[in-house]
Amino acid sequence: MNKISTRQLYFLLACIMPAGKLLLLPTRLAEAAGNDLLFPAAACYLLEAGAVFCVLLLAERNTSLYDLLRERVGKVAAGILLALLSLFLLFAALLPLMEQRLFVQSIFYDTLPSLAAFAPFFLFAAYLCAKPLFSLGRMWDLLAPVAIAGLLGILVLSVGSAKFGALLPVGAGGGRGFLKGSAAAACWFFDAPLLLPMLGHIDAKKGTAWRGALFYLAGGGAILFYLAVFYAIYAETAVNQLFAFANTSKYFAGITVLGRIDYLFIFALALVMAFYAALPLQASVGCWTQTFRAKPLPVLLSVLFSALFFALLSLLDLRFGDVMDCISGTLFWIFPAMSAGLPLLLLLLLWRPRRA
Amino acid sequence: MKNVTAALGRSREALKKLLPAEDILTFDFRSENGISFSCIFADPITDKQLLGEEVIRPLSRYKGEAKAEEVASKVTSPEIKREKSLEKLAAEVLAGNPVLLFEGMDEAVVAGTKKVFTRAIAEPSTDVAVKGPREGFIEDLKTNTSLIRRRFKTGELQIDTVEIGRRSKTCVSVCYLEGTSVQKTVEEVKKKLSEIDIDAVPDSSYLTHFLSSRPYSLVKQVGTTEKPDIFCAKIAEGRVGILVDGSPIALTVPYLLVEDFQSSEDYFVPPYRATFTRLLRLFAVVVAIYLPAFYVAAQLFKLQLFPVKLLLTIAGSIRDIPFSPSLEMLLVLLVLEVLNEASIRMPKYVGMALSVVGALVLGETAVSAGFVSTPAIIIIAFSGIGLYAVPNLIEQTSVLRLAMLLVAGSVGPYGIILATAFLLYYLVSTENFSAPLLAPFAPLTGRDLRDSVLKYNLGSLETRPRTLKSPNRRRLS
Amino acid sequence: MRKFLKTLPMKLYLLLLAAVLFSFFSNDFGLVDIQKTAIILAAGVDKTENGFLLTAQIAVPKGSDRTTGGTSSVEIEAEGKTVSDCVTSIYSKTGWVPKLVFCDLIVLGEETAKSDVISHLNYFLRNEYMPDSCLVAVCEGSAKELLSSTSALADASSLAIEQLFSDAAQKSGKVMPNTLKEFAIGYYGVSKSSYLPFLRMADQEGAENAASGSSSGGEGTEPQKIYTAEETAIFSEGRMVGLLSPEETLLFSMLEGKVFAGTLSAEREGEPVTLTVLKNDGSVSLKGEDAPKAVLSVSLVVRLCCRGVTAPIADVSDDSVPKEVLESAASALKEHAAALFEHAKSAGCDLFNLKRTLYRTSPKRYAKWKDLLPGAAEVALDVSVSSKK
Repeated sequence: MNKISTRQLYFLLACIMPAGKLLLLPTRLAEAAGNDLLFPAAACYLLEAGAVFCVLLLAERNTSLYDLLRERVGKVAAGILLALLSLFLLFAALLPLMEQRLFVQSIFYDTLPSLAAFAPFFLFAAYLCAKPLFSLGRMWDLLAPVAIAGLLGILVLSVGSAKFGALLPVGAGGGRGFLKGSAAAACWFFDAPLLLPMLGHIDAKKGTAWRGALFYLAGGGAILFYLAVFYAIYAETAVNQLFAFANTSKYFAGITVLGRIDYLFIFALALVMAFYAALPLQASVGCWTQTFRAKPLPVLLSVLFSALFFALLSLLDLRFGDVMDCISGTLFWIFPAMSAGLPLLLLLLLWRPRRA
Repeated sequence: MKNVTAALGRSREALKKLLPAEDILTFDFRSENGISFSCIFADPITDKQLLGEEVIRPLSRYKGEAKAEEVASKVTSPEIKREKSLEKLAAEVLAGNPVLLFEGMDEAVVAGTKKVFTRAIAEPSTDVAVKGPREGFIEDLKTNTSLIRRRFKTGELQIDTVEIGRRSKTCVSVCYLEGTSVQKTVEEVKKKLSEIDIDAVPDSSYLTHFLSSRPYSLVKQVGTTEKPDIFCAKIAEGRVGILVDGSPIALTVPYLLVEDFQSSEDYFVPPYRATFTRLLRLFAVVVAIYLPAFYVAAQLFKLQLFPVKLLLTIAGSIRDIPFSPSLEMLLVLLVLEVLNEASIRMPKYVGMALSVVGALVLGETAVSAGFVSTPAIIIIAFSGIGLYAVPNLIEQTSVLRLAMLLVAGSVGPYGIILATAFLLYYLVSTENFSAPLLAPFAPLTGRDLRDSVLKYNLGSLETRPRTLKSPNRRRLS
Repeated sequence: MRKFLKTLPMKLYLLLLAAVLFSFFSNDFGLVDIQKTAIILAAGVDKTENGFLLTAQIAVPKGSDRTTGGTSSVEIEAEGKTVSDCVTSIYSKTGWVPKLVFCDLIVLGEETAKSDVISHLNYFLRNEYMPDSCLVAVCEGSAKELLSSTSALADASSLAIEQLFSDAAQKSGKVMPNTLKEFAIGYYGVSKSSYLPFLRMADQEGAENAASGSSSGGEGTEPQKIYTAEETAIFSEGRMVGLLSPEETLLFSMLEGKVFAGTLSAEREGEPVTLTVLKNDGSVSLKGEDAPKAVLSVSLVVRLCCRGVTAPIADVSDDSVPKEVLESAASALKEHAAALFEHAKSAGCDLFNLKRTLYRTSPKRYAKWKDLLPGAAEVALDVSVSSKK
């Protein structure tokens, strides 16, 4: 049975997904919203939690998205919709993969390594995508405590250096700052669409939807707290702090004596992030495999998508700024439309109350 | 001719044809009333004293008719059976049981007077416990089953024996508790064993290949133990045990990785101590695998992983080393592996010399000569010690250590993280006999964590592990 | 085909192994390992006519055994139009790749500090491999001279200087260290002000450069140095605009509430008395409805450390402080506090971040007073010194 349990789903929502928001999101938010960075982040989280709720309501029907759509709109239209979803997921995967690459380059190496140092990630991604979903569910069981320990460790070591006065005055950026911040953060929020290809594989019960949304918000709470600590440490210089989660803990007094023990937590989170960064590719493969149930398809698509992204990253290696501006500046609207709009639309289209 | 006939000469010739070896002997004798008997036996493995006392002497005084039941009733050996098939009789002879053919009867009598070669029951050197039972399995299947039977005085203990090996005809016993072990697992084990078509089974390790769902995998999928107390504890949890004649190593399935971090002693010491030692074992294995890798990765790619004072010490010690840090570590690791291999196989009287060569010549002199640095030797020594904290996993962990070192030397710290991700993902997707290898951590089974790397007190372990899906869940009321 | 697919994973694993082995032995992702690295312990920046002079103190490991352990250092200088040029120049001069990941000290020359120092520190601030927790200080004369000097107390001058900024030294209130990050926050914040400790060096009498660790310097007769950082340079918009005296520095420490084991001088009957500070609370707040008024509050609990007059042996264990001594101490502190405030105000340095406090707590008043601060602010002093009960 290729199923993931609700516990594993909650771990994904509360522990794994927040790890993907730690890399460049804090810096981008600080740049766009200044000391008010918590408000756009909270708004994005609330919107996404609503979308997660919608997706998990559909999950209670225990049928795959393709089958749900096929019943309603027919085979061809269902196939087209899933192909579109797959394309969106591939599009959404670009930024996390690029920031992952920069993060690795910046934090794990003292001198700039070539792209070859990041190439093994695509081998890993291909391997991950080719495996059935239940393995991924079990992995979330393992990664959840790792993520919690990593984030908690970093927060504990960082919070002593934080001067929370830096978050004042509340509302200094005004509505414009809030909107700018929300737009800048939008491209990090596509968690609900990641769940869509998992429909039919989630062992959902009654109440899974609201519990899932609450777990997602709990993870969001941890990220908001981290954002507060981040800005409280760097204040006006926050805009210059790339991959700050790997640096906020270094000001802890014990570090000078023990060396960078915080790297333990950073490595733990990097492990979780490797799985998170590959998740959009896995979901994208999932869209195709439920449409065409040929056996070698997951392996072929996994290899194809991984190779495609490796080529793409090689091409765009030095153009991260342009890609970032394009995705989070010009095309940001695609994210709320797909990650909040699509689940709502699907819910309206496909939801039927459970029969007693 | 496939069966024994009433003509003694023809049957004897036919059986001898099947067993042409020179050590298969025939002894002919007559009873008091003149019935001719032929006793065919394998010389090296038949207990001739027992044969004389329990079979030949009573039959030479036999005065009854030439009927198989009557003849069998006169033989005083407790293991008696009658058989017609020549092939089966040949197998019995090869197993050490003499076959009695007699004139006028188309059936033979087999007496169980096999010569048993056993060593004394001793504590296995690979699984020493300071507290707890000191018995270990030996090579004799019957002795081993007796050690188990002694611990389970219940009719629920089933010991089903099959023969495996086209030529070795090795006896393999499948042990389980009826009503506690999962019937499906028992049947699956028996099915897999019955499907084995192999020449000979010299040791139980031959069977692990056939019992594994991923035979080429690096990771173990079948549990092993040399101690009857551990074997029985695993059977009592609902596992199925496999004993192989000629092997002191018993197998258990389903196997969970966490089993190898547990020791029998953990159940005889206070739970907090057991938890501590289990965590220590886990820590030791993690350090053993990762320490050389991180040391190399830090030197090559990320100096910041060292505190500055340690970095300067290391920088000082490697200043004149002719090799790159990765090559240096690889060389030291290979030397350690060679020393390890040699010390196991080498005669004991040379062992002391090897220690001197290893410690002084290779260690001290290599450092003085500037071939390797002191920190590299310390790192490898620490890693080597850590590896032996979990002796059952040495084969796997030493390969992983080497693999991590290669990855660290080529891709750096991120390579180590990705290799770990690969490894974990591979482990979580491995299962054998429907039990996930990484249970109870993945999938998470809360209650089973009480006896994992943690160890609760016995009163809290009232149910058998959920992962094993035993039909009889409660073990403590 | 089926057989091929069956053996495919094994072939892929072998291919992967071959790739790993190749990269392991070829060992090149543009990596710079420990053997090719110059570990920079400290950097000194001096402004020259043509740009900058960067002095990098590079660690030279002595060995790993007990007899040869320790760190010696060598100073490499490089000139360039920017700090970045200087770093590149070090690479070309030495063949070692300079790594800043362990650089814990940046020293700015006195003249350098008089121009906008952020333009010099920018390289360090933007360099992702440079720890922004590193200490920054200004020194008398040139940074090159300071870093090239031979310390009487440590193997390398930078190690001796870092020792001055230890936690214990901070608790004495005698130094006010600052890091690159905090300096930048002050600069980029609304106050645009910050401070750095000011280093001076002096000859250690009777000691000469004999067997000290540093391999730099002259030919063995150069006197060994000791360093002090009891003064504090104050900055406005990145420029050094004043220098706080040791007394003002102590008071600044007290206002920050950082003094826990420092000493304080007072008078009794015209004789000096030393008090030990056991507890220190300090704050600066901004009050006033119509005009800004800064309230500087310092509260100390002290005990007697050294009497100014001869006392009978029975009084030795009595560490209570007479009232007149407490009053004398409070009055001295008030005097220093007023001087400190005036000093900063006249230099145009918002040392107490009054603007920032106002911005965070009352945006309306901030809009009204932002151009008046710190110049137009009045000061109220609230100093209390009490004896240990």
